[in-house]
Amino acid sequence: MRKVFILALTFLLVFSFTASADEIKIGSCIYRFNDAFMLRFRNAMSAESEKLGAKIEHADGQDNQITQNEQIDKFIADGVKVLIVNPVDRMSSQLIIDKAKAANIPVVFINREPPEEILNSYEKAYYVGAKAEESGTEAGQIIADYFKANPAADKNHDGKIQFVLLKGQNGHQDMILRSKYSVEAIKNAGIEPVEIASAIANWDKLQAMQIMNAFTMAIGPENIEAVIANNDEMALGAVEALKNSDYNKGDKNFYIPVVGVDANASALDAMNKGEMLGTVLNDSDNQGAAAVKLAYALASGGDVKSIGYEITDNKYIWIPYQKVTRGENK
Amino acid sequence: MAENNVSKTKKLFTVCGLVVLALGIILYFAKAPMGLNRKIYDLPIFLIIIGLGFACKGFMMKPGAKELELSKKSFGEFLTNNAILLAMLVLVIVICILQPRFMQIRVALDILTQSSTKLIMALGICFTLLIAGTDLSAGRMVGLASVVSASMLQTATYANRFFPDLPQVQLWMPILIAIVACMIFGALNGFLVAKYDMHPFIATLAVQVIIYGACSLYFDMPPNNSQPIGGIRPDFAQLGQMRLFAGIYQGFPGISILIPIALVICVIIWFVLNKTVFGKNVYAIGGNREAAVVAGINVFRNIMGIFILASCLYGIAGVLEAARTAGATNNYGNGYELDAIAACVVGGVSLSGGIGKVGGIVMGVLIFTIIQYGLQFINVSPMWQQVIKGVIIAVAVAIDLTKYRRK
Repeated sequence: MRKVFILALTFLLVFSFTASADEIKIGSCIYRFNDAFMLRFRNAMSAESEKLGAKIEHADGQDNQITQNEQIDKFIADGVKVLIVNPVDRMSSQLIIDKAKAANIPVVFINREPPEEILNSYEKAYYVGAKAEESGTEAGQIIADYFKANPAADKNHDGKIQFVLLKGQNGHQDMILRSKYSVEAIKNAGIEPVEIASAIANWDKLQAMQIMNAFTMAIGPENIEAVIANNDEMALGAVEALKNSDYNKGDKNFYIPVVGVDANASALDAMNKGEMLGTVLNDSDNQGAAAVKLAYALASGGDVKSIGYEITDNKYIWIPYQKVTRGENK
Repeated sequence: MAENNVSKTKKLFTVCGLVVLALGIILYFAKAPMGLNRKIYDLPIFLIIIGLGFACKGFMMKPGAKELELSKKSFGEFLTNNAILLAMLVLVIVICILQPRFMQIRVALDILTQSSTKLIMALGICFTLLIAGTDLSAGRMVGLASVVSASMLQTATYANRFFPDLPQVQLWMPILIAIVACMIFGALNGFLVAKYDMHPFIATLAVQVIIYGACSLYFDMPPNNSQPIGGIRPDFAQLGQMRLFAGIYQGFPGISILIPIALVICVIIWFVLNKTVFGKNVYAIGGNREAAVVAGINVFRNIMGIFILASCLYGIAGVLEAARTAGATNNYGNGYELDAIAACVVGGVSLSGGIGKVGGIVMGVLIFTIIQYGLQFINVSPMWQQVIKGVIIAVAVAIDLTKYRRK
């Protein structure tokens, strides 16, 4: 009886397009509010919900899986129709799926991909994101393209790229895949990559700056041919350190190409000034919209195939990355 | 006999200094013809500086000064008393062998630059340690000052401004606002400690959480919504990045402006601690609070003063940190207070209050920075760096405590 009632209500909602007191409530759990990328993601989700006439509520997991679990419990108790979860620890997704399964509500994971077997354990679990390896591949391609266009970038004329790698938080999926595939992309472009130094800078500008400072002193800027950072903040930290050694200040003879990932405002600004070579846009607007559209369709019993995104294996929506290099942004 | 001993010590210092100095000069002229340029870098210049230092110390030694006794016992004592310093020297030599580029003037200057903001922090926190307290809010104050100052000092053309309609204000205004914001929280620290006799550990812990929350709220205001602040005005960035005397000779990287700033603050704090009534009161309260009260010292006013002065220094450090990195997030400064406390302790500041000198703190900060920088330089894993840092703190305090017990 209750099911029929809910179904009728949903139909009423879908066909009338009016927001009522029983509008679809989406519970969104973000791993940490204070993260530039997830912020844009969050804003995109809010905008899309407004468009669809659904109500979305965001919770700040404060980078703590226990806090996030409590927030999920609270959302379920509040009677949300669907959960969108950006897990703090992707390996803990099983617990999240169990909670959703017990309450019989669909769950859409975003940004951090749960392991395949965990995602497959519940038919109403989905993942919306970008293939992390793609961001690495494209960052590597930016470097390889630059070398092909500027033979002088090969400072020691050995036909190889001597690069420094600045990595994100240890164990983070993006950090592992971006590091691996950016190097692979250079190899696939026919140039041999040589890692002369690498360090974990925890996605942080200040740490990246101090590490890069020590590296430039230890290796000598004239021996570094490229800097590959797992995100833009670290790339910008590296840029500040290079500027400290009078590199990347506009003189072509004193320039080291630096690439990041995210395409945040500061990175675009640095690229316009010629301090940074390029970045890769993780299309948060598109991902946010896709996550909400999928969640809405799931909660309202609509057809998930008609939301305008291709669903792979009945589980995944993949949003492609985009390369951004100097001159391509306004 | 004593006179003879003194002259011996004097001779020892002078001769050693001159030998090192001569070696430095010889190497300086010999390194280019011998093809050692890429092997020893600026080592000769360092030797000349060290040699001059020792020789000067020998020359200046007054007759009747403490004699240097050469015996097995005094040697052992010397080893334990300076264990950390010696360990650092050994590490520096190892690093120089592994990576000769470490012997460059620019590396030494870079280490001094990185020490500067840490030193300012440590000088602030030492006041709270001197009254047998502590200040856990220091790091978050750095974050607050960096976010507040950076938010008002962005270029007009930057796409993602914190205050889109804010005109290009005078440089000093946002800096002052940022420092005053810290001082307000410092006053809160002082009030809680002085008025309610709360332990500084708990009072500053509470304030730390408040500051981080408040700073995050500010940082999350639309249109910024927690995005890292960028697009810093060049004149503000210069405040942390400017280099003086750059290029006075071939390849000289220049002295970062942070170094003279830290030096000036160092001198001011030394003056405050040693030559003012306030400074004497700080030591008095730290040494014996009851006695200080009986002696008529206004403990409330002095404790308020201590926390406000300390927060002013954290504010300055935060502003400089934002300028140096040309950016800010509310996570800046996270954990700085523990680094600063550790540096103070290694520099001989007692956690039970009343003991500590500016010179010691400078040493503590330098030792910490050199070790950290050096380990980074030879690419030691950050996990090992943590382990080593912890061992240094434990050993330093252990040595310090045995020293006092002996006395």
